[in-house]
This record gives sequence, C-alpha cells and structure tokens, in this order.
Amino acid sequence: MPDDALSPSDNNTSPDHIDRRSFLNTSSTILMVGGVGASYGTFAYIAGKYLMPSSEGKAWLFVCRATDIVPGGSFSFQSPTGVRVAIKREAVENPSEVPPINEFLALSSICPHLGCRVHWEGQNNRFFCPCHNGVFDPQGKPVSGPPAAAGQELSQYNLQIEEGNLYIEMPVDSVSSTNTSA
Amino acid sequence: MSRLGNWWSERVPVSGEQLRELTNEPVPHHLKKWWFCLGGTPAYLFVVQIVSGILLAIYYQASTSTAYESIRQITEEVQFGWYLRSLHKWAATLMIAAVVLHQMRVYFTGAYRRPRELNWVIGMTLLLVTLGLGFTGYSLVFEQLSYWGATVGANILDTVPLVGGIGKELLLAGEEYNAQTLPRFYIIHAAILPATLIGLIAIHIAFIRLHGVTELEEPDLPADQPKNFNFFPDHLMTELSLGIVLMIILSVLATVFPATMGPPADPNVTPEVIKPEWFFYATFRWLKLFGPTVAVLSMGFIIFVMYAWPWIDALLIKVTRNKETSTYIGIVAVLLIVGLTLWEALVEH
Repeated sequence: MPDDALSPSDNNTSPDHIDRRSFLNTSSTILMVGGVGASYGTFAYIAGKYLMPSSEGKAWLFVCRATDIVPGGSFSFQSPTGVRVAIKREAVENPSEVPPINEFLALSSICPHLGCRVHWEGQNNRFFCPCHNGVFDPQGKPVSGPPAAAGQELSQYNLQIEEGNLYIEMPVDSVSSTNTSA
Repeated sequence: MSRLGNWWSERVPVSGEQLRELTNEPVPHHLKKWWFCLGGTPAYLFVVQIVSGILLAIYYQASTSTAYESIRQITEEVQFGWYLRSLHKWAATLMIAAVVLHQMRVYFTGAYRRPRELNWVIGMTLLLVTLGLGFTGYSLVFEQLSYWGATVGANILDTVPLVGGIGKELLLAGEEYNAQTLPRFYIIHAAILPATLIGLIAIHIAFIRLHGVTELEEPDLPADQPKNFNFFPDHLMTELSLGIVLMIILSVLATVFPATMGPPADPNVTPEVIKPEWFFYATFRWLKLFGPTVAVLSMGFIIFVMYAWPWIDALLIKVTRNKETSTYIGIVAVLLIVGLTLWEALVEH
C-alpha cells in the first residue's frame, strides 16, 4: 500500500505531467494577456472613435444667375460664415447663352502652406500670406515663399451650374457662427 | 515618547534617522553657484503654474463663444485677476527660458554623458512638453494669435508623414478649427500635459538621486574645502531663496508688464503681421525659409538628433578623440537658434 500511495507523487515528477502543467501555465498566461490586451484594445478603439470628430458640414450655396457675371467680370460672394470669395469669369470672345462651368473660377483664400488666410494686395497685383510670406499671382499660382518651393496653388471652391444658377460648395459650420461675444 | 508620538510612529513607520538619510544626499560643491540650480527653477515655476492655473480655470470658459470674454473678465473685472493671469503668463515665459538654460548648462558641462543618457532623454521630453504647454496655453485666449497659431500648428502636424493627418483631425476635432477645437486644447493644456510633466519630473529627479549629481572638476577649489555639502538644510535653503527671488521677479514683471489681450479670433482674416510667442520664433523663421515638407522633416530630424545626442557625442569622442567637439557643435547650434530668433524678432515679415 505505501508503494501505491507513493505512485501518484511519482507521476507528478514525470515529464508528461510537467508538460501538461507547463502547457496549462503557458496557455492560461496567453489567455490572460490576450484577454487583458483585447479588453484594453477594445477600450482604446472606443476611445479613438469617441475622439474622432463627425464629418463637417459643407453645402452647395446659391451665388447668382450664371449670366449675371459678365465675361471678364467677377462677383463678390459672402458665405453665411462670413468668408468672402471673388468668383471670376473668364473673358471669352463669343459668350454662350448658358456659360460652361469652366469659365468660372473661385479661389479659396486659405493658404495651401499652413492654412492662414491670404489677402489681395492690389498695389502689388498679388495674393500675400502674412504667416510665412507666401505669394500667389491673380490666378492663384505660387510665385515665391514656401508655397512656391512646394508647388502649392491656392485651391478652388467647387462650382456648379444648374438651370442657369451658379452654386458654390462651402463649409457652413464655423467658429465665427458660434462666436457671439466678439 | 508621547502618546501622540506613538500613535504617529505606529501609523507612519519612518524614523527620523531614515528620513535624514533619504533627504541628505551629498551635494557637490559647485551647486553653490546659482546657474547650477537652473533645474530647480522650472520645477518651482511649474508649481506656480499649477496654483495660478487652477485659479484661472475657475473663471475660464473653454468655448469659442465664451473664451475671449471670460479672459477679458479675468483681466478686467475679477479682483486680482490681472495679477494671476500675468503671473501665469510670465511664469510660463520664465519656465521655458529656465528649461532651455538648464539644458544648455547640462549640455556644455557634458552632464548627459554615460551613465546619464536616459535622463537626457527624459529632459528632452520635458522640454517638448513644456513647449507644448506654452503653445496650447496661448491658444486658449482665443485672440487672433490663438486661432492662427492653432491653425498653423495643426497644419504643421498634418505634414508629418503617416500619422500627421489623423493627428491633426484629433487635435482640431475635424479638418479645420471649429467649435469643438478649443475644449481639446484646454484638456491638453490643463490635464494631459501637466499630468505628463508631473510624471516625467518625478522620473527625472529619481534618476538624479540614483546617479547622484555629476561631479565637476573644480581646480580653483581650496584643498581644505569639503567637496560636498548637505542637501538638507543647505541646498534646500539655496532653492528656497531662489524661490523667493523668482516670486519677486514674477510679481514685478506681472505688475509692470501685465498680460494684455489682442483682437479676438477672426477665422476670416489673418492679421497683416502675425508672430507666435518668442520661443517659437526660430521655428517660425525656419518655416518661412523652406517648403513645408522640408521644414517639418528637418525639424523632426533636429529633434531626433537632440534626443540621440548622448550616443552621437560618444561616437564623436571615439572618432575625433576630442571631448570638446560637442562644445563647438553646441556653440554653433545656439548661435543658429539665437540668430533665427533675432531675425524673426527684428523684421515684420
């Protein structure tokens, strides 16, 4: 009987048993680490989603009748958020009744370098960005400064003509619309 | 021992002897010179920032429609509001200056060398976090500089390859500055960065305690003078007097040159002349000199080199067999930064 009683403890030290034990140890550790990783990972995913903003509001806004802008002329449009855009029409020899959209140009005043607002300098016939000295010609092509080094033009707003009406796509939510104190 | 004493020592089982040992780190003699105490200066100023910042937060409202007005109220209506706001602004200025001077002192005395490389890395992170606090701080006023500074800062982030785009969207809560942006800057300024700073300062000081303060050769020190003195009370007294002097300087600056307010943020007009705070003058000029990708990547490279300097320096010593090489490089770097800063300060565009 004493021999029999000893046999289970003998089994404990057999290589088989150690393997099983170490297998259980390893797999439970993997499960544990995996579980903790998965739960914190899920939390990180949720936090990331929470921090990501929802898409911003842009809308097509009515500007004027397309024919209201004569060839070679321009129209000053102000969006509800206060952004002013000069919409220019190309000078063409024989203007058509319904002008094609590519005759129109609406330059954004946001500098493609780092997002400041350029302004028109009439005396120098150029757009100038006061932040990092970017200079653009009247067509929005870069002339000097960092935008010229990187070949960045002033971007253009999307325009569209529907039933003779000219529309422009612009952001409608802005800081200024909520800024009532200033 | 009295009953109260027993009660205390049972609950806080630390003897006076142990406490003395814990605080009485031998301090090398050269720390009697004030410019070796520049590391304690930003730590002291950081405490001033926490206290004044909490007080400012009581009136500040982080929303685009109320932020500017709430700061005007702090500055003009709340009793001593002008003082606390000016104190906060000047302590920030001095804190950045002290961090930079402390880093220069560490650099030029070679105190970052083996085995203290990791503490240099922590110190570099402390510098970046401090600059981040400065940047997010002036973004909160919601004046023109705040708005355009934040816009430019976010767009700089945007040019960073791979992660830049998502970083910008997370920072601005969208493609561009909007009504959700300001609360994010506020949380970063008042919670995330200060908490990071507290943790890093703790590690920074722990490293100093573990390695001890770097011993400097002082040839002119008389032989009979002891090489070390006690932290408590000698060095603590030095730091305390430094604290008093700083408080006087801060109060004088806050009173004579109180914090003012620029025009409120206008997303439709970038002012004709716009500059960030002085500590970003060099980077601002750098951005004017190169295209955005080149400027941002080179700045990233410079920051990487600064982080890796202890190892680059070790390599330089091996190659040139001259310990002074890093000193010459340091002088050139300082002259370059000072030069760019002065250039930006002296011209309009």
